[in-house]
Amino acid sequence: MGITDETYLPSEEELTVTEVNVSGPVLKAAAHHLGNACLNENNEFMLCRHELGDPRKCLKEGKAVTNCALNFFRQVKNNCATEFTQYVNCIDRSSSDQSFLPCRKTQGVFDKCMFDKLNMCRPAFDQYARVQVHHTDRPRPPVEGPAVYPDAAPYLPEGVDKPPAKYGARFHWIW
Amino acid sequence: MAELVRRQDMPPPGGYKPVNYKRIPARTFFNGWTMIGGYLAMTTVAASLYYLTCKKIHHDEIENRSAMFAIKPLLLAERDREYLKQLGRNREEERTLMANVEGWKVGTWYGEPIYKLNTDDELVEPRIQDYYVHAKRREMARRMNLEKMS
Repeated sequence: MGITDETYLPSEEELTVTEVNVSGPVLKAAAHHLGNACLNENNEFMLCRHELGDPRKCLKEGKAVTNCALNFFRQVKNNCATEFTQYVNCIDRSSSDQSFLPCRKTQGVFDKCMFDKLNMCRPAFDQYARVQVHHTDRPRPPVEGPAVYPDAAPYLPEGVDKPPAKYGARFHWIW
Repeated sequence: MAELVRRQDMPPPGGYKPVNYKRIPARTFFNGWTMIGGYLAMTTVAASLYYLTCKKIHHDEIENRSAMFAIKPLLLAERDREYLKQLGRNREEERTLMANVEGWKVGTWYGEPIYKLNTDDELVEPRIQDYYVHAKRREMARRMNLEKMS
């Protein structure tokens, strides 16, 4: 209930794209490089999603994000499959929370391969936890200003004398 | 009975030994100042180790958070598409379910919408009970972490 016939919902064909069909540890292991490779698409999508707050209006950006991630994973698969699989195995099995800490050695091997073959560097460890600055061509949506009520009571004019209350305060226990 | 000699218990010859009341303290390995100094030294070492571990844990947390932020757009994009598909499926399900009801309008209560001032351009996301209304209750309970609740 709530979604009426007049509500626009995109059709199934519009919503169906090739999804990135990988599991959690793979995403976690590739996260930093992926974020660097798809920085522009990711920022564009997140900005759109945050500004408009509507999943229907950011479908194009979302498809770009998925497409970029797919391309990235294809590149990794074609160039650094062994190193990446090793790293993913380490991430998956070394700790219960997929921590990066016990996997620095395999990470080094993977990073070296990524740098040698794809010329991709691992960004700083807190790169995406920092504030991101993104330049976009999409116009800013109109910002709703503070509410203005035409029948609001006007303020006292300047210079009016304010004599003390004639009968004291209303609340006798406050002084 | 005259040869029976009565003898009284008497102290041993030379008298009883003196009562041993002298305090014998335990052997002391450290004096007070050494113990205070040792305490301070141990605390310093422990605090520095704690600081280093704290730094490592914070580093790991930030790295994890950064990785999650990096893959968030990918997950969110996929989720959005699936969510919109499911909204469409729910709408069609409601249409077939209420096909025989006179005067029923999909998404409204017999033509009365939830929000009267809402424009069609705006997507009012259904609350979770509405979203799962055509599914089994168990699915909703799983999603809302109510599975163990009887």
